Amino acid sequence: MPDAELAVTGRVFALRNIRIYFAKKGRLKFVSHLDMTRFMARIITKSKISIWYTEGFNQHIYMNFALPLSLGYEGLYEIMDFRLIDDNYSIEDCLESLKKVSPPDIEFLKIRENFAPMKEIAFAEYIMDFETLSDEAALKLSEFLKRESIICSKKGKKGKIREIDIAPKIKSFNIENNSLKLILTAGNENTLNPSLVLDAFFEACEIPQIFYTVKRTMVFNEKLEEFE
Amino acid sequence: MEIKELEKFLLSVQKPGRYSGGEINSVIKDKSKIDVRFAFCFPDTYEIGMSHLGMKILYSQFNQRDDIWCERVFAPWLDFEEVMRKNNIPLFALESRDPIKDFDFIGFTLQYEMSYTNMLNMLDLAGVPLRSADRKDLSPLVVAGGPCVCNPEPIADFVDLFFLGEGEEVDLEVIDLYKEYKKAGKSKLEFLIAASKIEGVYVPSLYDVSYNGDGSIKAVTPLHDAPKTIRKRIIKDMDKSYYPESFVVPFIEIVHDRAVQEIFRGCIRGCRFCQAGFIYRPVREKSVDTINRQAKCLCENTGYDEISLSSLSTSDYSGIEPLLNKLLEWTDDNHVSLALPSLRIDNFSDELLDKIKHIRKNGLTFAPEAGTQRLRDVINKNVTEEEILSTCKTAFLGGYTSVKLYFMLGLPTETDEDLKGIADLGQKIVNMYYDMPERPKGKSVSVSISVSTFVPKPFTPFQFEPQITEAEMRRRQEYLKSCITTKKISLSYHDSSTSFLEGAFARGDRRLCGVLENAYKNGCKFDSWTECFDLEKWLDAFEKSGLTAEYFANKEYSYDEILAWDHLDYAVSKNFLINENRKAKEAKTTQNCREKCAGCGASCYGEGVCFEKH
Ligand code: SF4
Repeated sequence: MPDAELAVTGRVFALRNIRIYFAKKGRLKFVSHLDMTRFMARIITKSKISIWYTEGFNQHIYMNFALPLSLGYEGLYEIMDFRLIDDNYSIEDCLESLKKVSPPDIEFLKIRENFAPMKEIAFAEYIMDFETLSDEAALKLSEFLKRESIICSKKGKKGKIREIDIAPKIKSFNIENNSLKLILTAGNENTLNPSLVLDAFFEACEIPQIFYTVKRTMVFNEKLEEFE
Repeated sequence: MEIKELEKFLLSVQKPGRYSGGEINSVIKDKSKIDVRFAFCFPDTYEIGMSHLGMKILYSQFNQRDDIWCERVFAPWLDFEEVMRKNNIPLFALESRDPIKDFDFIGFTLQYEMSYTNMLNMLDLAGVPLRSADRKDLSPLVVAGGPCVCNPEPIADFVDLFFLGEGEEVDLEVIDLYKEYKKAGKSKLEFLIAASKIEGVYVPSLYDVSYNGDGSIKAVTPLHDAPKTIRKRIIKDMDKSYYPESFVVPFIEIVHDRAVQEIFRGCIRGCRFCQAGFIYRPVREKSVDTINRQAKCLCENTGYDEISLSSLSTSDYSGIEPLLNKLLEWTDDNHVSLALPSLRIDNFSDELLDKIKHIRKNGLTFAPEAGTQRLRDVINKNVTEEEILSTCKTAFLGGYTSVKLYFMLGLPTETDEDLKGIADLGQKIVNMYYDMPERPKGKSVSVSISVSTFVPKPFTPFQFEPQITEAEMRRRQEYLKSCITTKKISLSYHDSSTSFLEGAFARGDRRLCGVLENAYKNGCKFDSWTECFDLEKWLDAFEKSGLTAEYFANKEYSYDEILAWDHLDYAVSKNFLINENRKAKEAKTTQNCREKCAGCGASCYGEGVCFEKH
């Protein structure tokens, strides 16, 4: 079959799976996950990289995000997969094109063509910065996080409230100055939202809410290696 | 304010993306290199304001200049306003988060009367005195433009200076003058007097209005040598006029979340109720090449995957077929979809029809506005029953099963027969559907009728006409309802109380400034939002000023009476409007600008449709 016809029927080109790593900071923390996908689609369109669209009636840019981030959180190691239509385009050029069209609060960090499947994500690291954390509260927090079992109620998918023990999901923690570092299980329906941990703490220890901000700083695999 | 300080508050409100700024293409500048800071305010929510084309044009145009930094400001929603007031956060601009009270200009675009209280609320949140007379310094200057400004008298005490007509040129002339006067250390009054000499600038404080015993206007007297009449400005050559190469692309979803390409200004038709059809005259088109180039550029710079053509009536663009052909050359390949609002496709070639058939169907809508041919002739609405029925038929054959019809209630000379005509037209469509052997099998038809209330507006032939009273409005609504006898037809109304206030403010005079301030103090804001609108508070506001809304809304003006906006010149002459009003009463139609010039006066600019060769 002549090439032109093949092109019309689609599928002659090889698709390249690409993973991009980025930081979502500053004002972008107020952008919800849903809005973020639309935003990314626009950045990609602006950058003119030859991206692959899904086929069928409602064609859209194929994008797959690891671990959607809650509204209000910063993410310093966010991951998104998409597909390039192979045209001998170097992925470094692709990264540069994206950087060129991005507003300041998003920073594209690196791009790869070989990477682990998303299902290998096992943990995520968060840093929570408190407005103030007294020594007394810090001590209580540390004791709280060492508990064998931390029961808290969580709204299930159908709005049902169920009790879960989150202690096994807390891999490690560290309290320093006014901040708390947490490594929590993540991915494969195991994701624990760090504010759930703090909510449980404020409630259990009867401490009034302290204002804090949340940053997700890293994503790990089962061996606690940087997930790539 | 630093984002760090602000975020604590933003995390406690719904939709913080409304206030965070930092969107794609938003403009950040170095303050130290700026001479003039302009806070461009839209007195409604972010989602509505960000959808407005005029703001996008001026925002980009001002920011083209190195000495100006134009930033955006929207009305904070109730939850954030509460947070702001509780924590003494002054109204700030999205780009710099600096308080707007320190800006050189605070500019409002006024698109509808029911946003006036939001303007006052925003000034108050900014910490700026509401009344022009209480702001002694040269800056901040409170300025305003937009269609409402064709009768700015109800807000004349609050605004220092109005821009009449299209802002692209006059706004910058005023900014330049301001720069000069600021440097020379001149006073506000000195500046305003000088600004009033610029064509298109109206400084209300330089006019004294006196009244007769019956409440009518006795005279409008210019002071300090201000011009007797102020003529609106227009852009003469649309191909040379500024158009943004990019839009700020919001993070959160807004009402019209797409690229918008303007194709022409004005409207050739002259429907007698329609203010836009008169105040934007004469029609001036962009060329096919300009539109195509600008549209492509916008899509590339915004990353939008949808573009919509903007004008008052897309089908009246003289080069619509070549334009669509040109656009379709690149849109599909770039995954861009084309939105064509209000497009009549009756005379398109089959080839073009075929190309656009995959364009998302927005449903079948008509705006006959009136139920009988007689009343449609009165309002000069050039749609016939045959046209509607035949278009519906074609659409039904193509698989459509629902139609939406728009009407207006309370039009001048309207009788119960005209109302019954609305129901009858709906019934005829239903009957036709069931009489069609080829109709889509097993599906029923639905006709939805949406009725808004007629509001007489300045600079239309109906500017002299009274609005019907609220009681009469309700009676007519009930009557129309009783004429509909089938479930296949559904009927919906716009809120008539807001129409009534809209009527009062559209044609009101300066005495309404006090009413507006009272209403604002009573807590009125977001009046175009049903969940916020409170008629009681408004009626109380009128009472406190010793006035009634009825006086302004339901008043009939004689042809020789001085109208509150008579000293403003929107290029359509009062004589023309009087003549059109007389013809309306005789149910005589007027041809459109391309069929035959009606001599409205707008040819005075020496450009546009008036000089096209037909
Ligand atoms: S002068 Fe004539 S052609 Fe020009 S806008 Fe008026 S009616 Fe239309």
